[in-house]
Amino acid sequence: MKRGVPLLIVFVVGFVMLTTYFIKNPTLGQARTLLNNWGVIVTAFSVGLASVNILRIHSARIANRRSGWINSVALILTMFIFIVVGIYSRHNPDNKAAAQLFSNLFDYAYSPFSATMYAMIAFYVASASYRAFRMRSFEATLLLTAALLVMLGNAPIAEQIWDKFPVIGNWLLNVVNTTGQRGIAIGVAIGGFATSLRILLGFDRGHLGYGE
Amino acid sequence: MWLERLQNIDRRVIYTVLLIVLLGPMIKPIGIPLTINKTTYQMYNLIESLNPQSDIVMLAMDYSVAGAADVHPQAVAVAKHLANRGIKMVMVAFVPDGPMLAERVLNILGDRVTYGEDIVNLGYLSGGESAVKKFIDEPATTFPRDHRGNAISSLPIMSNIKTIHDFSLIVDFQTGSPGYQDFLRQLPAGGPLYAAGIVTVSVPNVMPYLDSGQFAALLPGLRGGAEYEVLIGEPGEGAARMDAQSLGHMVIVTFIIVGNVAYFFSKRQEKSGRR
Repeated sequence: MKRGVPLLIVFVVGFVMLTTYFIKNPTLGQARTLLNNWGVIVTAFSVGLASVNILRIHSARIANRRSGWINSVALILTMFIFIVVGIYSRHNPDNKAAAQLFSNLFDYAYSPFSATMYAMIAFYVASASYRAFRMRSFEATLLLTAALLVMLGNAPIAEQIWDKFPVIGNWLLNVVNTTGQRGIAIGVAIGGFATSLRILLGFDRGHLGYGE
Repeated sequence: MWLERLQNIDRRVIYTVLLIVLLGPMIKPIGIPLTINKTTYQMYNLIESLNPQSDIVMLAMDYSVAGAADVHPQAVAVAKHLANRGIKMVMVAFVPDGPMLAERVLNILGDRVTYGEDIVNLGYLSGGESAVKKFIDEPATTFPRDHRGNAISSLPIMSNIKTIHDFSLIVDFQTGSPGYQDFLRQLPAGGPLYAAGIVTVSVPNVMPYLDSGQFAALLPGLRGGAEYEVLIGEPGEGAARMDAQSLGHMVIVTFIIVGNVAYFFSKRQEKSGRR
């Protein structure tokens, strides 16, 4: 019962979604729409569940004064400010001050922090590519040459040095890369199909937490 | 000794050089000439081919603030082009940051559009691919209110939308998931054309889709945005940032070459030492 019911649900839901792709039937179509709507609701609910989980973990960290607890205070405080201001401004569209406050929080708090975290990758990439791209073997030399040519092909300044850089860069991207990507995509699709079939038929039960 | 040092330049030196090189053009743009790629022309021509009287474009604002430096200039440039041509736009988001970034685009468009008549920001729907599917199935009823709290029934632009086929084109600005794969899987056959503006790192992944015709057009990263700005004759933040990105690339290339030259000569020294 504990295993059978979840497996049956997975099979029925998967079967309906799959069948409606091939067969046009009003009843099955309605069932598909209903299941899809449930999917949207469940996903939205999972955001709330994740918030509760974050609250639980970080409250415990603060209560036990574990290392970095002050960061947890900042996280919970920020989360609550965003939630309260967001919900209030959403349900009171006439209150311009609340809408402005939410907009300011997004523009002057969330955006700069988020963009900063992403921008820092540029520095890590510069340092990592300097260390990693070495002509240690034939394959490494090939990879290095291709990377340099694509990079130079994408930089307008390199085009001013030699106008063939974009031509070579685009050829690598459009021909060599596309060929490889297509092969990978087909492989992933076949793998995905096989895995989906195993889940639908109940051979693969990892998603149910049984570890089998 | 020197060869050893050149192979192990301190990362702080690399960071400092890169920072200086990136900051310089941002403070004072150089204006490095930009040639327009074929893919950007495809997007431009696609939008030029639309009919302002009958065509409506869906702009999927599926990019995060983190990736906005790469994708936001594309969204602004395409929205400006659509607004200049008088083509109606419906903005939808399947990532949480989307509606706020759509508002930024609306602020830039200013008087070019009338909200509710020419353009609308429907807001965010959670659910990833399921949400994409829901909107494709029921675009008229998925959002009862827009992002600003207006009832959908009160917005004239939405009276033209009954099914997904009422859109002529979907331009999906994206930084990850949901993204092109979700749309391509869920869009019905014979549905609207699909074009995308993506982050630079995703360009190699999407090339087969462009090649096969599943993408009607593609704007690749910041360069795509900058090229589009040049094409519509309104150079903006994308074109300004391209100088910095371009010089940043050159710094990385220079460091890689220096490291490899030093590596090559140190190996030669090692070999001649053994003899």
